[in-house]
Amino acid sequence: MEMDREPGKLEQIVSQFRSKILHVILESRVPSLHHQQQESLSLSRVRKTDKWFNLVLGDRPPALENLNFSLRNLLDPMVIDIILVRHGPCSSSVDNLYAPSAAAAGPSTETVIERWVVQYDCPRVFATPSGAEAAVSYKKIYKKCILLLRSLYSQMRLLPAYRIFRQLSLLSQTYNFDLIYKVSSFSHPFSREEEDGMKEYNFTPVEAPPGCLCVSVTYRTTLSDFNLEPLVSLPPKIITDYVGSPTTDPMRSFPSSERGAHAISFPSRGLRSPSSIPFQRPHSWSSGFHRGIPPTKTQSLAGSPPAYRTSCKPYDISSPPADLFGNRIQNHRVSTLQQATAYDEYKLSPPFSPSASPSTPTYLTGANPLLTRHCSETAPVTIPLPLTGRSTRYLSPNSSDPSRHSLPPLSPRSSKHDASSQESPSGIRSYRKIEALRAGESPSGLSNLYSAPKVVRDSKDDSGRFSGLLSSSGSPRIGFSRSSSRLSFQDDMDDCEFSCPFDVDDVDVSDSSSQNTESKKASEFTAQSNLVGKKSQDAAVGILVHLLRTAPPLRQDSSCYSTHSLKTEYDGGVGMASGFFLPRKTADALEELNSYREMKDLLLSKSGTQAVRKEGMK
Amino acid sequence: MNCEVCQLEELKVEHFEIREVLRCILHTIVFHRALGLLRPKDVDLELFEITYVQCGDVELEKKIDEKIDHFISWVEKHPNKKSQLCLSFYEVKSKQPSWFTNKTERLYWEQWYANLNVTQHPKHHSSKTHHTKVVVDPGESATEERSSRRAMVEASLREVLFQIIKFVNEKKDHLPPISEGVIYFPYETTIPSSSYSAFGMDMIKRMLHSGHPTMLS
Repeated sequence: MEMDREPGKLEQIVSQFRSKILHVILESRVPSLHHQQQESLSLSRVRKTDKWFNLVLGDRPPALENLNFSLRNLLDPMVIDIILVRHGPCSSSVDNLYAPSAAAAGPSTETVIERWVVQYDCPRVFATPSGAEAAVSYKKIYKKCILLLRSLYSQMRLLPAYRIFRQLSLLSQTYNFDLIYKVSSFSHPFSREEEDGMKEYNFTPVEAPPGCLCVSVTYRTTLSDFNLEPLVSLPPKIITDYVGSPTTDPMRSFPSSERGAHAISFPSRGLRSPSSIPFQRPHSWSSGFHRGIPPTKTQSLAGSPPAYRTSCKPYDISSPPADLFGNRIQNHRVSTLQQATAYDEYKLSPPFSPSASPSTPTYLTGANPLLTRHCSETAPVTIPLPLTGRSTRYLSPNSSDPSRHSLPPLSPRSSKHDASSQESPSGIRSYRKIEALRAGESPSGLSNLYSAPKVVRDSKDDSGRFSGLLSSSGSPRIGFSRSSSRLSFQDDMDDCEFSCPFDVDDVDVSDSSSQNTESKKASEFTAQSNLVGKKSQDAAVGILVHLLRTAPPLRQDSSCYSTHSLKTEYDGGVGMASGFFLPRKTADALEELNSYREMKDLLLSKSGTQAVRKEGMK
Repeated sequence: MNCEVCQLEELKVEHFEIREVLRCILHTIVFHRALGLLRPKDVDLELFEITYVQCGDVELEKKIDEKIDHFISWVEKHPNKKSQLCLSFYEVKSKQPSWFTNKTERLYWEQWYANLNVTQHPKHHSSKTHHTKVVVDPGESATEERSSRRAMVEASLREVLFQIIKFVNEKKDHLPPISEGVIYFPYETTIPSSSYSAFGMDMIKRMLHSGHPTMLS
């Protein structure tokens, strides 16, 4: 290069030197400029401007050209600030998805992490060198500039800011920080606090008579103080097995669920007596949820400070929804882990083990009073279904699910098993009541009418355990799924409730074939049955006897009436009453009375109070 | 023209780290001494979080790798010794041929000494007991120890690179003029033996200062 013969060579060297330094600094600190360079390096032909100082960097971005023009006064220092911009918490992570720049985020913090100062320090008065001296000087200056640029290029990769630049250069990630630059001819001095964390390095000045080219850098020695992490922009994803968190609102919306949450922990006691399991089942979900998940642990998981390294750790924006989401994720991870263990125990412990006894349906239906309500006597229940169907029922229940009506009827064995357990919860107790009523079921469905309100009453007026059972059964439903499946299950329950044959409304609507008297009697029965729930079993038998006594005859035909039939045909107890409307003698009446006595005795013998009644009757 | 010598700080490295460390050091030095037109190439180390710069010349890479292989083979033959690799830049001066001298003469104007203390023996030369002890060392403490040691080596290597940059900046006048079309100054790599006077004296000095038997055994 014939530098020595061209005028203004020194000015050209200094100008190109400043441009080259600016190019070196920005292409290794600003990702956008770096990407442009990556594209230009693919060109085989090297431009003349790129040959300066024998360092091919690629085409200069237009921004650099503009900067060179604005800083054309070579005597002014060129200050290049590399600024770390940390985006503040934003309202939603969606903004970060579409606009990861600082514009979409909250308040941002800017910190100068590097300051490069390039200056041609020249005295005001100087003597221009002669031709020969200038030629030698230019070559030396040029060579020394090459060396300085080489060392600057290497040092750019050793300073801490380079790691941040490399992180930002990854197009696959978005971060809560960014690197920007500011080029000016002046600089604001650092504060004392800023200077404490910074270190200065001065490159050996290049003598370029009459002055010298000086390059220095002030940089932060460490950037680990900043919370620099990639943004976790989670795409919408449907979690099919999400079980929720115990701290979610739906859990709190059911006050009784809290009581249910304090119930006995199911998994640890899953091997207890089967009768106690139904009570524990609904509680076990909530207790299994809450079990072993202290808030402090989740907090520590979500708030752990990141290490200053390229990390793939999920970033948790410290905004409430995102924080909750992050915490939910953590909670979900922790809770699902424990939930998984709890669920495994749940599945394996009786009655949910594959070798469930035939009496299992009792537990299942008893455990879930909602199922009990609409499954007993009319809606058959299958044993395996609730195990898997339970989850499906909770998650995606179908109000028109025919399985409710396809379940096998209650077996007397189950009632016997119920009868054997003395410590059964009230839910099972009321279930046994239904069984007892069912044994004396009349073709007219009287017992249904009798028992239906009782069930309803049990569910409502129980000491609280049954209602607690209701709500606690709701809690696992809620805790199991925070989605609308909970509501749909609620709807399913509601639908079942309305379609329940024991419902009062159904009784009034469906029993259209009954006679007026019977309907009146039915209303009386229902009115009287309102008291059933509150009375003992003995009282219920007494009432039944009274009803049978006062029941109108079913048949007007006297040919169907005979004393013999009265004596022998007890099973058609209602049919006995038809003899009241026949003309008869006192003897006949006495015989009839005796038959009634026998009936009563038979009933009482079943209840175990026969001796007392006979004495009373006499 | 005087010969500038730069003794780089000693690095305690394990055998498997020699290649990466020497590649980093040698390429950095050559990059600062390749003053011809070149397109720099950034290379990330695999073992450390350090990015160094190469000249982007495939042939140069091969030559340096050959030098490193030669050095590694020497280390394997001389275990438990502090190793040194010397990178020298010279000028070729034509000399009047005579009976005892060559036609050309190499005038070294710069020498770089990379000092390595290889702590781990190569597998086929190590004693079995020592090697098994290292392998069997269990627990998290070994992992933490390795990571801390790795961090120390990385920091030391970074210091060595800063040392190179500083030396390049401070010493510029001794460089010969750049020839047209020539990218690299002529260079050569040597492995100074234990009989090398400067190296031997250096070892004696270390022994006197340490006051206990040397590690060389």
